[in-house]
Formats: sequence, structure tokens, C-alpha cells
Amino acid sequence: MGNKQTVFTPEQLDAYQDCTFFTRKEILRLFYRFQDLAPQLVPLDYTSNPGVKVPYEVISSMPELKDNPFRERIAQVFSQDGDGNMTLDDFLDMFSVMSEMAPRDLKAYYAFKIYDFNNDDYICPSDLEKTVTKLTRGELTPEEVGLVCEKVINEADVDNDGKLSLDDFQNMILHAPDFLSTFHIRI
Amino acid sequence: MLPATLPLLGMPLSGAGAGVADGAAGESVLPPAGLALLRWQWHEVEAPYLVAVWILVASLAKIVFHLSRKVTSVVPESCLLILLGLVLGGIVLAVAKKAEYQLEPGTFFLFLLPPIVLDSGYFMPSRLFFDNLGAILTYAVVGTLWNSFTTGAALWGIQQAGLMAPTVRAGLLDFLLFGSLISAVDPVAVLAVFEEVLYKVYNSFVEMGSVNVQAIDYVKGVASLFVVSLGGAAVGLVFAFLLALTTRFTKRVRIIEPLLVFLLAYAAYLTAEMASLSAILAVTMCGVGCKKYVEANISHKSRTAVKYTMKTLASCAETVIFMLLGISAVDSSKWAWDTGLVLGTLFFILLFRALGVVLQTWVLNQFRLVPLDKIDQVVMSYGGLRGAVAFALVILLDKTKVPAKDYFVATTIVVVFFTVIVQGLTIKPLVKWLKVKRSDHHKPTLNQELHEHTFDHILAAVEDVVGHHGYHYWRDRWEQFDKKYLSQLLMRRSAYRIRDQIWDVYYKLNIRDAISFVDQGGHVLSSSGLTLPSMPSRNSAAETSVTNLLRESGSGACLDLQVIDTVRSGKDREDAIMHHLLSGGLYKPRRRYKASCSRHFISEDAQARQDKEVFQQNMKRRLESFKSTKHNVCLSKSKLRLRKAGRKKDGSADKDTPNGKPHRASNLPDTAAVILAVESEEESDSSETEKEDDEGIVFVARATNEVFREHKVPGNGSMEVCPSPRIIPPSPTCAEKELPWKSGQGDLAVYVSSETTKIVPVDMQTGWNQSISSLESLASPPCAQAALRAAHPLACAPPRGDELRDPLAALVTPSPEPHAGFTFAPSLAKAGRSRSESSADAPEQQELQPLMAPEDRGCLSPGTANARWLIQFNRAGRL
Repeated sequence: MGNKQTVFTPEQLDAYQDCTFFTRKEILRLFYRFQDLAPQLVPLDYTSNPGVKVPYEVISSMPELKDNPFRERIAQVFSQDGDGNMTLDDFLDMFSVMSEMAPRDLKAYYAFKIYDFNNDDYICPSDLEKTVTKLTRGELTPEEVGLVCEKVINEADVDNDGKLSLDDFQNMILHAPDFLSTFHIRI
Repeated sequence: MLPATLPLLGMPLSGAGAGVADGAAGESVLPPAGLALLRWQWHEVEAPYLVAVWILVASLAKIVFHLSRKVTSVVPESCLLILLGLVLGGIVLAVAKKAEYQLEPGTFFLFLLPPIVLDSGYFMPSRLFFDNLGAILTYAVVGTLWNSFTTGAALWGIQQAGLMAPTVRAGLLDFLLFGSLISAVDPVAVLAVFEEVLYKVYNSFVEMGSVNVQAIDYVKGVASLFVVSLGGAAVGLVFAFLLALTTRFTKRVRIIEPLLVFLLAYAAYLTAEMASLSAILAVTMCGVGCKKYVEANISHKSRTAVKYTMKTLASCAETVIFMLLGISAVDSSKWAWDTGLVLGTLFFILLFRALGVVLQTWVLNQFRLVPLDKIDQVVMSYGGLRGAVAFALVILLDKTKVPAKDYFVATTIVVVFFTVIVQGLTIKPLVKWLKVKRSDHHKPTLNQELHEHTFDHILAAVEDVVGHHGYHYWRDRWEQFDKKYLSQLLMRRSAYRIRDQIWDVYYKLNIRDAISFVDQGGHVLSSSGLTLPSMPSRNSAAETSVTNLLRESGSGACLDLQVIDTVRSGKDREDAIMHHLLSGGLYKPRRRYKASCSRHFISEDAQARQDKEVFQQNMKRRLESFKSTKHNVCLSKSKLRLRKAGRKKDGSADKDTPNGKPHRASNLPDTAAVILAVESEEESDSSETEKEDDEGIVFVARATNEVFREHKVPGNGSMEVCPSPRIIPPSPTCAEKELPWKSGQGDLAVYVSSETTKIVPVDMQTGWNQSISSLESLASPPCAQAALRAAHPLACAPPRGDELRDPLAALVTPSPEPHAGFTFAPSLAKAGRSRSESSADAPEQQELQPLMAPEDRGCLSPGTANARWLIQFNRAGRL
């Protein structure tokens, strides 16, 4: 913690503060956490080379994440290159979305993106099937998964196009008030 | 529980009884002169009899209260019960000149409290509970400590200030004890748990006498606080484990499942009580802990039994408690009045509860993601209802140790009455006025379940990444542990498989849709006034789920039969007509079968046997009708039916032609409706007609996808349709005759499909499978289905013939019927092909898929039509 000042330039810190919902302290804490992920890759001095990426393999090989079905998806959604390799910016973005200050729409948008596996801006049945399969850890048969997906879409599909748009999704989420309120993490 | 005399209810009775009993006793001493024809043995049955009578009185009182909705909507039931208790107590006092039937602490703690606590523990929404565990624990532990300390100390203060009568001889310790018991909230609340603990500690202090309490004892007291509560929780969890483990092996003795639940929970309570641990906590934890596994293990029926019994017991206990509370209050010998104490107590408990809530909430809000707002706080401060626990505790006090007991009793009674009556009366308007968002009972949607799980995982993942081991992390850990070890150990394999929550919710939703559907419409698909759920896309779900429901009730496993029956009691004219149409006795046996099913426990063997019986009878009927069909005997009858259907239909959908044509034509709007996804009356219309003329459906049933593809133009189809029945006059009849085969097969496909078996809970599933297999073995060789699925109609005609012949050969009189099957099958297929608007069913077919196994899709259209037909048929049969 001693070299706190040398990690970022004040301008960088200001920029980060503007772009996220964090204070300087929190940004620094997150940075150290980020650095912990791959100590050999991430330099402690971030003033000069801000483009370092922590490859996805590092994240996915974390023992805690071993059983988490969504680790890959989360990394993909929040990484800029879409492959799960995260820069510090991505990392901060991720927690920024999860923070309490983030507005609901933003949270809903990212939640939606996590579901949208094929990035076509719709949650279509195939996306949902993936989600359900991941969630149930393959315990349901494909037919069952299909049924569940159909039902899910039926429930939330307002415009009846057989897939969920962002509007559908937000609409559905706003109907359950204490829903996004759980989508928080305290750093 | 209840003392020996019977002044109120049995005054004349007991007098007579005593006399006769005396006489009988005298007789039994002397050698009896002769055999007594009648003996009056009141004393032998007295205690249980009184218990039963009291419960009966309480229940009757409840009924009376609820006769007027107005009263119960304003006045809480507990108020009424207490008032009733007061009146009854007054009568008892007047008649017997002494108070009787009071709330005995022993009875209360050993018999009346456990069911209430178990009920609240077992039905506690565990997810909510654990999500808010921190807040709950804070309020329970800190809140109770705070309330008891401050109230006790403040009361001691006013005593010191000389505001109480000098006769109230009590030290600080006594007041603290009183504070601990008076801070008890409503026993139904989980928060009540901690009062008991604190009370026990204080009580042991007081019993030691304040002089003997050393400093070390205070430390011990604090320690015992934890020992008592944690020990109670541990006992509860141990018993929860045992219970879950036991129910894993009850597969063959389903009947004892509900009993086990109650016995072990009660054992947990008694064990904790025995070890002077917190029994309330024990039984609460037992309920919370075992629920997940027990629910998965026990059968559907047992689940319902547990639910109802638990609710009944709890409500019973509650009723009796409140009534006895009222009665006890009448007994003036037990209490002594002191205005200062009473007013002081009332004031302080209200004040300190409010203060405590505000303070704690402020602290908690620093940590909570969803802060508790002002309104919550107001309600929480105001909602501190003191109930029977406080009263029982105060009665339990030892008069020799606590000289001011009588004053405490009086104060407690006043406080209980005040909170129950005044606060109970006003809390509803208050809540309404503050516009508290009551726990809106929005149904759990599948989306919610799905997203909840996803979010859990996402959050856990993010927490992992940040290396922050928060709540989500631990929950994730626990869930994995549970999945890997606990569930494996405590659940049977089949249940474990079924248990997946998402699937579970899906299943529940289906059932609920079905029930609401039946409730709404009475006549599920046929009544034209039926309002389907607003979203057209839901039709499919609803329909399939109705099939689901009916399937269940068909298997006798549906305990909601009552619902359906009551709904149907208001059956409309169509139903009546339908009834007459189908009252050919075809499904009468089935009805009989159902009646016996509703008598709860029928062994599986009997079910299977009955199914067989039913099927054989059906077979016989089929057979006869086949014969008659062959000789064209049945033709006129079928035409009559057609005409009837047509007439009925033209009331609703201005098309009238006496034969089958209009009905089929009316399928067109159906298509349109479904395709356009527009909810229209025609939709239901068409479904009505579809069901009413079985013949039309049969044609649809035989058609396959290929057929649809051949005739895309619907209008064309309707034109073509009309000749087909005429050209082959017997075909509708025969088709109709064939229907049971179809239903025994097309529907069997539906039934037996892997999906279905998964939708149905395990127990039901087994029962169902048995009945199915019996049906199946009768109806067709197992391979016939598969063959049918694979082949298109013409190709599958021979197998169908086989299938027809098979059961006939196997079962009943074999002679000419197979030929009938053979001759008609191709014609049917033809007719099916000509019916192009059967493609109308194609979209529906897709919507109906949830019920059908995908591999059935080849022959889904028959399945679809048949499913509908079967619904109709089943219902009619049950009328």
C-alpha cells in the first residue's frame, strides 16, 4: 500500500473515478486485487502501460471459480475483446456495474448481455437453453430444457416475437422489484 | 389439560354422568345383578372428551366469526377468540363459582406451542430467511436483550421512584425477569425464539435468589444464553437430519410419511425441552432444515397431508390458546392490580420497542443493500404483539421466588389484551394508511427462478474474482456442499433427479395454470365464454397444463379433484348435453374408480386392478360398438350426435350443416386466431366444436405432417372435407369407435412420453406408470407405438390393425373385430389426408409441445387433437 501514489497518475485516477462509481480508495483496492490475479503480468506501476490484459485462463483457473457455470460468460461480457481477457478497465467496469451506485438500467443491461450468448441483442431460445443447461449442470434432458426455455420466453415476451428483447427483459425485471436490488456486490 | 369437572358444557350431563357412574361403580363392586344394558362411564372419557369439546367449541366459534366477512376483515380473529374466551370464562365462573379451564403452562408448552412453532418454521420461506438472517438475528437477539433490559430497568426505576404500590415487592432482578417475558412478541414470529432463552437464564438467576448470584454467574448466564440457543438449534438440526434420512426410505410405506414429520419434529421439541435448551428454536430449525429434503422425499399426497395437518394443528392450537387466554383472564384470584405497574409497563414496552427498532435499523441500514425505510420501522415498532408465550411464561413463575408474581400476571394479561386487541385492531388500518407494500403474492415466475439462480452464480463468480468472500460466496459454497453430499445422502435418487428447482417451478406453474384455468372456465376448452389468459402465447401452456391436470386426476393422484368438482357443479347446458352424449357408460367405471380414489389411500395394486377393470369394460363397449358399426347399426346414432353438435355450434359460430363439415370448417378461425396470436372468441368456439364432434378430431388425429403439406389452402380443405364423411358413411362412427384406441394410443404416447413422466412427481409417476403400463399392455404391444411414431399414416395402418387386434385377441372376444380395424384404418387415413385444414392444428401443435415428447412430433397432430378430445372426454366422463 505504500506505493499507492505511484500506481496511477492523478489524471488516471480522476478518469477512473469519472468512469466508474468508485472512490479513489476503492479503485486502488480493486487494482491490487487485479494485480493479485496475475502478479507476474500486471505491473505495479500503471502510469505508463495501461493496456495489460489478464488472460482468461488465469481467471478461469481460479479454484473458487472452478464450479461456477458462468465464469466464462462473465469474463466475455465484461472484456472488451469478448474473449474473456480482461484489462484493468474491464475489471473496474465489472465491479462498477455491480456496485450499489450503478443505476438499475445499467445493471439490467449487463444482466441482459450475460444472457445474450450470441450477441444478437436478443435473448433467443438458444441463449436460454445455454443458460438453463449451465444452471442445471446438465441434469435436465434437452427436451426439458426446451420446455423451460419456451415457458420462460412465453412469460416475458411482450411483443410476441419468440425472443426477448432488452425491453422485454427490463420490463420483466422491473416487475419483480426486489430483483435487481440483489444484483449488488459490496467491495 | 382440563380439570375434572364439567360445569359449563356438561352441567346436566356431568350430574347425570356422575350419578350413573356412581351407580355403575357401586354395581361393579357388588356382584352385578344382571348385565347392564347401558353404562355411563363419563369419568373414563372425561379428559379427552373435554379436550375434544374445547377444540370443537373453538372451531365452531371460528366458523361463526367467519360467517360475516365484515367482522373478520376488521377485527382480527385472535381478538374475537379472546373475547369469546372472556365470555366463556365468565360463564364458567358464574356457574362453577371458581375459574376452570385455564391456560396451564404445561399444556401450553408441551402441546399447544409446538404445532404453532413447527408450522411457522416449516413454512418459512427459507431463501428469504437466510437472505435476511443477519437482520433477523439482530432483531431477535439484540432486540430482545434491549427490550428486556430497558423495560425491566425502567420499571425498576419507577418502582424506586415510588410510583408503584408498596405491595409490589420486587427487586431489579425480578423486573428484569418480567421485562424478558413481557418483551416476548407474537409466538408465531420467529423472533419469539430468543425471549424464551433469555427468560430461562433470568429465571435461573431469580431462582438462585439475587443474593447468591456471583459475578461468575453473570458470565455463566451470558454463556448459557448461547448454549441454550445454539444447543436448541443444534438439536433441531440433528432431528432435521434424522427426519430427512428417515423419509428417504419410506418409499414402500408412504402412509407413515406425514406421521414421521410430526413425530420427529415433536421429538426435537421434547428433547430440547428435556435438556433445557431452547425448544422453540429446536423445532423451528427442524422445520427449516428438513423441509427441502423431506419435501423432495415424501410423496405428493403426503406433502399435502403434512401441509394440511400442520396448518390444522397450528390453527387449532392458536384458537385454543386465545380462547383459554380469555378464560384465564377472568380468574381474579390469580392476579393483583397495580395501576402504576400496568401503565408503566404498557408505556415502556411501546417506547422501548420503537426506540430499539429505530436504533437497530439505523445500524443495520449501514450494512444492508436494501435499507429498511421509515414505514417498515413504524410497522415493526408497532407490530410487537405480545401473545400467549408471555402469559404462559408468567404463569410459570414461582410464587415463592417471585413475590410480585400476581402483579406481573395482571400486568401481562393487560399487556397481552392491549397488544392483541388495540394494536391488532389498528395495525391493519395503519398498514393500509401507510401504504406498506404487503408481500404481494406475485406468483413465482419461471423467469424469476431462472434469473435468481443466474444472478446467484454471477454474483458468486464476481465475488470470487474480487477475492471477497461475502454472502454469495458462502451461499455458493453451501449449495455445492449440499449438492455434493447432503442431497445425495438425504434424498432418494429419484427425488434428487426431480428436484431441480427450475424444473420444479416449471412444473408448479403448469399445475397452477391448469387449476386457474379450470377455475376460471369451468369447462376448460369448450365453453365459449371462457377467457383465456391474456397472452395468447400462454394458451399452449394452459392447455398443456390442463392436460397435465387431467392426467393427474385421471391417475387418481390429484388431490385437487375437489376444486374441479365444485367448479363443475355449476356446469352449463353444454356440459349437460355433453354428458348425455357421452353417458353411454363409457367412462362410468372411471368415475367410480375416481370416487374410490378420493378416499385417500388406495394401494397401488388396487389402482392398477381398477384400471384394468375400467379398461376391460371400455374394451367390451368398444367391441360391441365395433360390431354394430360393421352392421351400420350405430350410424343413426352417430348422425344424431353430429346434428346435436352442429346445432350447438351454430349458436356460437353461425355455421349450420348437420354433418361433420361445419365443425371442421370452423377450425379455420382457430388457425387464424392462433397464427395471428389474437385472442378471439372464435378460438374458444372452434375448440369447442372440435371437442364436441369427436369425429372431426379423429380425422385430424390420423393426419400427419405430410398430409398437411399436401393441402396448404385451408378453404380448399373445407371443401374437400364434406364428401369424405358422406362417401364413407361409417367412417365417423368407426372413427369415433376408434377413438378409445386412439386415446389409448395417441394419448398414451402423450402420457408415456418421457416428458410427462418427468412432469409428474415421482410418486404420481409410479402410480401413473403403473396404470399406463396396464393400459398399455392392454391396448397395444409396446412396439406398436414406436412403429406408429415412425411411420406415416398409411404405413402405420397395418401396425394399427395389429394393435387393434392384439388387445382384442388378448382381452375380450376376438372374432371379427380385427377386420373392422383393418377395413377402417385406411379409410381413416384417407379422410385424414383429405382434411387439409387439419393443418390448422399445426401451429397449435407447436404450442402444445410442452406436453409432448419431441420424439412424438411426427404424430403430434393426432396427439394434439386427441389430447383435446381426451380432455373433453375425461371431463364428460367425470360429470
